[in-house]
Order: sequence, then C-alpha cells, then structure tokens
Amino acid sequence: MSWLGRFFAHERLETELDKEVRFHFESQVADKVRVGVSENEARRLTRLEFGGMEQVKEDCREKRGTMWLETIGRDVRYALRRLRGAPVFSCMVVLTLALGLGANTAIFTLVHAILLRSLPVTDPSRLYRIGDQMHCCYFGSFESNDGDFDLFSYDLFRQFQQASPEFEQLAAVQAGGGSYTVRWGDSPAKSLRTEYVSGNYFTTFGVNTFAGRPLSPGDDTKGAAPVVVLSYSAWQREFDGNPNVIGATLHLDQHAFVVVGVAPPGFYGDRVAPFPPDMWMPLASEPVMEGANSSLLQPDTAWLYAIGRMRPDVNLGVLQTKLSGVLRQWMGTLSTFTARGGAAEIPRQHVVLSPAGGGIQKVQQQTGTGLRILLFLSSVVLLIACANIANLLLARSMAQRAEIAVRIGLGATRGRIIQQILMESLILSVIGGVVGLGVAYFGSRAILALAFPLSRNMPVSADPSWVVLAFAFGTSILTGLLFAGVPAWVSSGTQPADAARGMNRSTRDHASIPQRLLLVFQVALSMVLIVCAFLATRSLYNLEHQRTGIETANRYTVQIDLNGPGYTSDRLNGIYREIEDHFSALPGMTAVSFARYLPLENNIWGSCVLLQGHPAPGPKDDCFSNWNRVSTNFLQSIGVPVLRGRGFSQDDETSAVPVVIVNQAFVKHFFAGKDALGQRFGVNDLEFSSAFQIVGVFADFKLEDAHGDVRPLFLRPRGQQYMGYNAPDQQAAEVSSLYLTRMVLQFDRPQQDVEQLVRSTIAKVDPNIPVVRVLSYPAMVANNFNQDRLLARLTEAFGILALLLASVGLYGVISYSAVRRTSEIGIRMALGASRSMIVSLMLRSAFVQFFAGLVIGVPAALFASRMMQHLLYEISSDDPWAFVGSVAVLGVCAAVAALIPAMRAASVDPIRALRTE
Amino acid sequence: MKKTEDKFDLPQGTLDLLIMRVVALGPIHGYAIAQRIQQMSREALQVQQGSLYPALHRLEYKKLLSSKWKPSDTGREAKFYELTVRGRAQLKTETENWTRLTDVVGLVLKGTVEGIG
Repeated sequence: MSWLGRFFAHERLETELDKEVRFHFESQVADKVRVGVSENEARRLTRLEFGGMEQVKEDCREKRGTMWLETIGRDVRYALRRLRGAPVFSCMVVLTLALGLGANTAIFTLVHAILLRSLPVTDPSRLYRIGDQMHCCYFGSFESNDGDFDLFSYDLFRQFQQASPEFEQLAAVQAGGGSYTVRWGDSPAKSLRTEYVSGNYFTTFGVNTFAGRPLSPGDDTKGAAPVVVLSYSAWQREFDGNPNVIGATLHLDQHAFVVVGVAPPGFYGDRVAPFPPDMWMPLASEPVMEGANSSLLQPDTAWLYAIGRMRPDVNLGVLQTKLSGVLRQWMGTLSTFTARGGAAEIPRQHVVLSPAGGGIQKVQQQTGTGLRILLFLSSVVLLIACANIANLLLARSMAQRAEIAVRIGLGATRGRIIQQILMESLILSVIGGVVGLGVAYFGSRAILALAFPLSRNMPVSADPSWVVLAFAFGTSILTGLLFAGVPAWVSSGTQPADAARGMNRSTRDHASIPQRLLLVFQVALSMVLIVCAFLATRSLYNLEHQRTGIETANRYTVQIDLNGPGYTSDRLNGIYREIEDHFSALPGMTAVSFARYLPLENNIWGSCVLLQGHPAPGPKDDCFSNWNRVSTNFLQSIGVPVLRGRGFSQDDETSAVPVVIVNQAFVKHFFAGKDALGQRFGVNDLEFSSAFQIVGVFADFKLEDAHGDVRPLFLRPRGQQYMGYNAPDQQAAEVSSLYLTRMVLQFDRPQQDVEQLVRSTIAKVDPNIPVVRVLSYPAMVANNFNQDRLLARLTEAFGILALLLASVGLYGVISYSAVRRTSEIGIRMALGASRSMIVSLMLRSAFVQFFAGLVIGVPAALFASRMMQHLLYEISSDDPWAFVGSVAVLGVCAAVAALIPAMRAASVDPIRALRTE
Repeated sequence: MKKTEDKFDLPQGTLDLLIMRVVALGPIHGYAIAQRIQQMSREALQVQQGSLYPALHRLEYKKLLSSKWKPSDTGREAKFYELTVRGRAQLKTETENWTRLTDVVGLVLKGTVEGIG
C-alpha cells in the first residue's frame, strides 16, 4: 500500500491494528491461563508486560509515515473549532487582513498589468527599441538637450534598417496614433483609431492573424494597393465580427482600403495605451491619406519609433555605437541640422537601445512613479494590518496563557504549542487572503476607472492573473507566519507553574512589550501614510483650483471630422458658418466657436517663431511657440479677455492681411515685455518673417500642460490663409491647418444630454459629418489630473485605513492592559487614588508609545514624501502644515482610542476589582 | 518484571533480521513470532510487543513482508505474515552480512596481536 493509500485507509488500518494487538494480548492471557494462572491475574500480568497497549499502537502508527499529516488535520480541526468559538476576533483578523491584502493586491494587479507584463507576442524578450525617450508626435529638429534621439523620420529609419543586420526584423511604428473616418457600404461613418506601421510589423512581433493575412512588406511599397489589418476588438465592436468585412473595401476618409486580415484576439499592438489602434495601415499609405502634407516623404520629419527583433548574442553596446554613428552621419547631410551652428551639436547626438518586451513604454513611464509609490504605500498599509493582527493574536494568546500553561504541564512540547498557534493564524491568513482577493478585484476595477476614465478598450484588465494570485497567496501566507510568529513564541514560553500561581494578578507583564513595540511601529507607519495623503490631496486641490485662465462652466467640447466627408478647403468657411448658425439657433446657447486644438485637451502643435528684422535663432535658442487657429469668438467662449489691441473680427477671416494675436507669455518671451502690437513674425523660414502682424494681446491661459507654466502662444483667425508659401509641403501644411475640428459650445445654464443634441444638430447640417467625441469641458480638464486624482484618492483611502487600524490597535492594547490591571487599579483606588489619576495612569503609557511612534514616523514620512515630490503640484514634500495636520489627526484618534478604555478602567468598582482573579 | 542475567538487549537492526528468519519458515502471526524467537534463542531473547509490532509494520510497509488475515489455531482471526520475494532476497543478504560480521569481529576478539605473544 502506498503512503497516500495508507493515509486514506486510516480507518481500516486502525481497526486492524487494534485487532492484531488485541489478538496478541488475548493469546498471551490464554497461555497464562493454560499454565494455571487465574483469568483475572493473567490479564493483570499481561497488561503489566505490555506496558501500555496504546503506546504500542502509537509506535505502529508512526511507522505508517502519515502521522504528521494526521496531526495537521487534527490541528486544522482544532483551530477551526477555536476560531468559531471567537467569532469577533476571527472576523476582525480576517477583515483587517483582507483590507490590507486587498489594497496591496489591487495595486499589484495594476503594477503587473501595466509595468511588468510583456506584449502578447512571440519571444518578447528579444524585442528592442532604438531610443529610450518618449518624444511625440512630430519633430523636425534636435530632440533633447543631451542629444538623445528616439523619434525618427522614415528616411532615417531606412538607414537604420540597412545598417543593422543585428536585427532579425526592424519595424517602424507611428509615435502618435491618429483617427480616420471609416465607412463600409451603407453603414454609418465611424471614427476609428489608426496607426501607421512598416510592412514587417507583424513579422517582427511574430504575430499572425485571426483571419485573413497580416500586412506584408509588399503592402508597404509605393503604389501598392492600400490595405489595413483590423484589431480583433475593433472587428467585434465596430463590425459585429462580420466575416464579410475581411476582403471588403472600406473608405478611410475618401480613400478605398481593403481589409486583408484581423489580428488575433489579445494583440493590442506595440504598446499599452488608453486608446489602442483599431487598425494598422502600412507606412506607404500615409502619402495616400495626407497628400502633399505627408510626413513619410519629408526626410527631416521625425514621427516614427523603431522597434525590432534582435538576433541572439548581439553585443548591444557595439550596435548602439554603430547606430549612433549612422544617426550623426545622416544628420550631417541635412541642412535642418547643420545650419545656423547646428553642426557643432551633431557630435553629441546619439541613440540608446532599450528592451521593448513590454512594448513602447509610454504609459509605463507616465504612470510608473505613481504606481511604485502606491505599491510602497499599500505595503505600508499591509504592514500596519499585520501589526494589528499580531496585536490581536498576542492579546488572545495572553488570555489563553492559563490554558497553555496547563497543556504544557500535561506534557505538550513547545513545538506542538507553536505549531497549533501557527495553524490558527495560517487558517486566518488563508481566509483573509481569499476575501482580500475579492477586495482586490473590485479595488483594481475602481482604480482603473480612476486612472484612465476616458480610455476605450485599454488592454489593462483588473482580472487577477496567475502571477497576481500567486502574489496574493504568497503575501497572505507570509504575513500569516510573520504576525503569528511573535505571539506563538511568547506564549509557548509560559511556565506551567504560572497556571497554578494565579498569574492574572499582575501590575506589570513583560509579554506586553512586543505589543507596545508594535503600537509604536503602527503609529510611525500611519504617520507616513497620513502625511502622503495630506500632500497628495492638497496637490490635487491646488491643481483643480488653480487659475488655468479659462472658464469651463456650462461649456461642452465637440470633436468632428471634416476631412472624412471630403470637405475641400474652399468649402470650409461655408460649412463652419452653417454649423455655427444651427447651433446658435438652439435655445440657451451663449456662444459657439471653432478651434484646431482646445486648451487642456493635451494636444497642440507649435513652430519656431522667426521675428522680422532678427537673425535666425541658433539650435540652442528657444524659439518655440505653440499656435492654434480659432474662430472669431473663441476667446470669448472660453472667457479669456483681450488685454491690448483687438481680438479677431469677422473681416479677418477673409481679409488678405494675415493677423495674429498673442498671449502675455509670448510678449514676455519674444519681446521681453516691450510693446508687441504691430510687430511682425513668421514661421518655417526667415524669408517669411514678415508674414503675420500682431494686432492684439490676450490674457495667459494654460494650453497643454496643466502642471506646467504658460508657454508662448499665438492664434490665427479661421479661414485666413498665408499665400506666400511656394514649396508644396508648406502650402499643404497651411491648407491642412484650415481644418478646425474642435468646437466649444457655451450654454447659459447646465444641460442634459448634450451629446444627443450635438449629434442631431450636426446631422441636420450634414449627416456625413462624424461626431468623434462630445465631452463637457470640466470633464476634459479633469482628465489632465487623472494621475494626481488616483494618487490622492488612494493615499486618502490608505491613510483612513491606517488611521482606523492604528486606532483599533491602540484601543485593543489599552483595554487589554486595563483588564490585566483591574486588581491593581482596585488596590490603587482603595488606597485613595482618584478616577482621574487612574485615567492618567492608563493614558501615560499610550502617550509614550504615541510620541515614540512620532519620533520614528516623522523622519520616515519625510523620506516617503520626498519620493513623491515631483508628483506634487505647488506644495513642498516637507510642507509643515501637512506634518502638523497629520500629527493632529493621529493625535486626536489616538486620544479617543486610548481614552475610552481608560475611562472604563477608572469607572470600575474597587471592591469588585479587588475580587477579580 | 524479573530480569534474568542471560537476557540482553538486541543490537540495532537485529530484530528485523530475526523476524524475517522466523517468518521465512512459513506464515505466522505476531504472537507466535515472539514465542518462536524466545524458543529459538533458548529463552535468551524476549521480544517486547512495543518493539515487535512497529518492526512488523515497518517491514510490511517496506514490502519485505506481506500479510493476510486467517483463522489461527484457536479459531480467532489473526494477522499472518509471510516473506515477499524481496524479503527473501533481503534476508539472504542480511544473513550473509551478519555471518561475515560476526566472523570478523570474532577473529579480532579471539586473535592475538602479533609481536605481543
């Protein structure tokens, strides 16, 4: 019979063992009776010779080798019985652990899903990216101050490809995604996310298609028939998984594309992004879509990331040096980089190879610091929870000391006692772990919604993976052993004699020292969490209540697409006016305006400003200004005043003299605060430096980054085209800037269901114009603070949790010590101590621990808050008010938690106290 | 319990060998094994139940012995042990080892040291 068989045949083996030993006994008795001993005497003698039948059996059982398992089984049953006997205690422990573990696991789920996960592709460890920065989305000059390049033009990408056979495949992917209006047959037009990729994209990742075929290098050649590959989720969502789509012709804007395949389910592209691409298009189709404005054909327009599959055993350092050489050599051939002193900068330019198993690390870089801080803080919560549980167990084991002493007196070994106590906490930690997983599941869903509120089909799921499950399980077991170890050891040291001695009668007990240390530890850790919560909350408040310079109340933002339905530039002014008229006629509408980009939408473009009569700026001069094209009443619609000169008028839209208005930051930066009215400047080339005349100055408002300072900005009027350009690409860019796709609708009162209103109004003008997005302006601004909100809300939750746990811990320890010292208190009161003296006696030790906790906690909090310094907005990481406030909050909670049991202890009747055992 | 001079403790592992030797004679239950060892050793060895049964069970789990429940002489059911094929081989090697060991130990104990005599 095998070992396992013996374990399961337990019952039968027991009966047989009993029968066998009994047979021996009876035979021995019978032999004695046979030689003349009386039956009773024979039994007595045999029993003596046997020396304990149970001992014999026990020795036989041991030989089965299943004893330890049976002991564990017994311990489990025993522990469960004991835990059922103490439901409040058990629930407290499970709940505390579940919250602590849940918080930790929820954060870890996100850390794993966002930071640790590899792309779902073949052998992701061999993927490398040329570049380690996150420049986006179009660049036409030097990229960083230290010369680190990561965004490349198509021309440069091809040079890299030719120079690096070390890459099995090297693919190019569009840095920023785009969207096009897609039509299929008679179905309504929809706006889908797109990404241009090189023809070897799917080969590089080793990914095939779910249906049809992937893109091939043949698709990515000039003049090839335009094709796309759909993502699986877009195929399901937008086309209901209709198999007829594969091979069908879609119209992207006005251009016909054939769907050649659908990517496999789960493949979300080359990076984790809030808006993953719905379709991949070959680079060669970019000129088809963009015409003369195409980036592909511009040798110096950088808009691609390069990611490739490395051959085995490649020396990365050597390859990096080689590619940097290719970069510098390529730059030397372009006047963009050599002109105006740029040549001196070229030797510093280089690329850095970075591992790309997780894809392009954009979201990871944006959220990494915050997530790591949150993981750290949630671990602190878990530690506090552990300390609490250790305290509860300690108190419990103290209460059971008499019982344990009796068991030791009866012969239980120290090991057995420890084993049983550990089993109890192990069971608690497993239950806590399971409940904690539930907390984590809902927690991480809530956190995802907080972190990426506007995302669509983001490939980050809150479902726990095996790694997460293993993490949670491991952590719960580890904490179980951690928090049970101390109490188990302490109580197993009980002397059996103590039981007889009436050890409950005491004024001091050394065993409570671990409890007090745990309390100090809890206060210190809570301090860390509360300070972080204070700082993050204050930072979010500062962000949300800052002066952005724009009014957003009762305003809605609308994004439409005019390229899609095929509006040519000459028809634009007409359609703008028509849309404007329709919306203005709506009841309650105060203002309707158009813009190419909206403030705080997180998207803007810019140019190098060339002032009339000034030499061209060198490579190190900051000549960059954002610019935007807007309709006449745009500034009015977002509540921005014109400070000097004039705003735009209807005449500007069609007049031939190009005019611009600029913000205060522009005046300060380019004119050192001197009068800018009437001055002229241009972009692209010095020969156009007289193109625009400044006619007004408007108040600063934040355009792109709500965390940063206001940058220079100039506005050009809707419809006004500069006719001086002669190069086709410059002309094309000028024309494409005429397409204003954003609208601001200002109502005079709060609105219901604006989206429906917008869609029906636009449909009245032209049903072919797709409405891409309708969003209230405050919601769009709030989207700027997702990370800050996540950090603030979670640190608040952690802080409250920590406060709660620490208070419960303190309360427990004080009330426990009050019970232990009941008779002492009785004696003191009998000798004349007043109630207030008793209260202060009880509080004294609590405050010693509180202050000891602060002594450790304040420096620890300083350390922790410094980690999040650069995530804070307009508040210093050592803000005194945050620290004073935290101490105050913690102090009040500690005082309440300590006062209640202290008062109760003082209210005891001295006679009764003296009688307590 | 009286302790006679000619009874002594068995060296470690010897009990297993004795049990296997006795069982080799034919199917036999535990009580009879103890009796038989006592007889064969001319009362010099008395096997205690406390050592006999754990040893029997250990040998059974090691698959050196097999067992069967059969009626005994008295008519009561008893657990009869038998040597397995493996047990028989084990008995053979262990008996050889034992004989060699006692021979060698005997040689040393009886012999004279060269150079002294």
